[in-house]
Amino acid sequence: MSGDLEFENLVKLYYRDLYRFGLSLTGREADAADLTQETFYIWANKGQQLQKAASVKSWLFTTLHREFLKTCRRRNRFSTESIGEGAEGLPNVPADCAERADSRTLLRILGEIAEDFRAPLVLYYMEDLSYKEIADVLALPLGTVQSRIARAKIQLLRRLSETNLPLDQAK
Amino acid sequence: MNTREAKEILLLYRGPVDHSDPQFHAALDCAKSDPELGQWLREQTNCYDAIRTKLRAIEPPVGLSEKIVRRRPIPFPRDWSRIGQLAAAILISASVTVLLMKWSEHRHSSVAGAREIVVTGEVLDMTCYIAYNLSGPDHAKCARDCIRSGLPAGIKAQDGKVYLLTGAAGHSINAEVADYAAKTVTIKGRQTVRDGFAQLQVEEIRKL
Repeated sequence: MSGDLEFENLVKLYYRDLYRFGLSLTGREADAADLTQETFYIWANKGQQLQKAASVKSWLFTTLHREFLKTCRRRNRFSTESIGEGAEGLPNVPADCAERADSRTLLRILGEIAEDFRAPLVLYYMEDLSYKEIADVLALPLGTVQSRIARAKIQLLRRLSETNLPLDQAK
Repeated sequence: MNTREAKEILLLYRGPVDHSDPQFHAALDCAKSDPELGQWLREQTNCYDAIRTKLRAIEPPVGLSEKIVRRRPIPFPRDWSRIGQLAAAILISASVTVLLMKWSEHRHSSVAGAREIVVTGEVLDMTCYIAYNLSGPDHAKCARDCIRSGLPAGIKAQDGKVYLLTGAAGHSINAEVADYAAKTVTIKGRQTVRDGFAQLQVEEIRKL
């Protein structure tokens, strides 16, 4: 009984964050919901062996990301295009440009970024994880994660500034 | 550290969540002393906050959490001592079941309500006796042949009561009693009655 309550509390605590991460990765609501469910399913089977309660969040995000990569391999439908090194200059994007974009637009722009870069960028924006934790979730070296976030962020801001959103799209 | 280097570092700065990260300390100091860099940093963090807020405003479909909880698998406890106990319980239970089945089989093979008696009388060929009332020394050869050929054998007690002679379940008594056809013997065995008909399951035969 207490195990059931523990599981329910865990779901309540993290399912939104996991769903958003899944949606940012896949761009599809149904896929994000499936990934979220699959992650908790795996948790129910294996996750309770985890000793440190503090690692639960990282474990869940790692698992969702792994499941996403498996899906990518099966479907082979996500772009693996990488972002060039030449981030020529840092964009100067006013905050109101980001404020004018709605969630859907942001998701669309995120979807245009190569998956290798998208996952660290999404974790950077959405979760209060340290860079070390992001690196652990994605099983990447810390330097690689920071480099990918920086390059992906530049691309995101540049595309956002190029979008020229009309003011009536403001939300 | 020049402004460009500071910007490259602060591009990753998110605000309070990164405040204790030492990689940002020097660049943040630069931003404090350089108003232009400070303004750029404020715009960056505001932009970060705006994007974060928009992304975090996304809500999962209604009922997703309930669906997850409902479809939760019941984990199998991999506690080897408990698995061992379970296996032992299954083994014991199976053994008890087999023993009960054997006992039940044995119980059903013996006749219900049996009691041990000793009967002295003439061994009969039941077919000839019941159908034609044939018995005694004149009928001895026929009785012996009939019993040997598998027809039912019986014994007529001195009080006139007739018993059908049987062996244990699956075992014919005919070969043992055929030589005693029409002779007087004493048989020890277990008496039962089925549908009003008396029978004697032979345990021991003694010729007088």
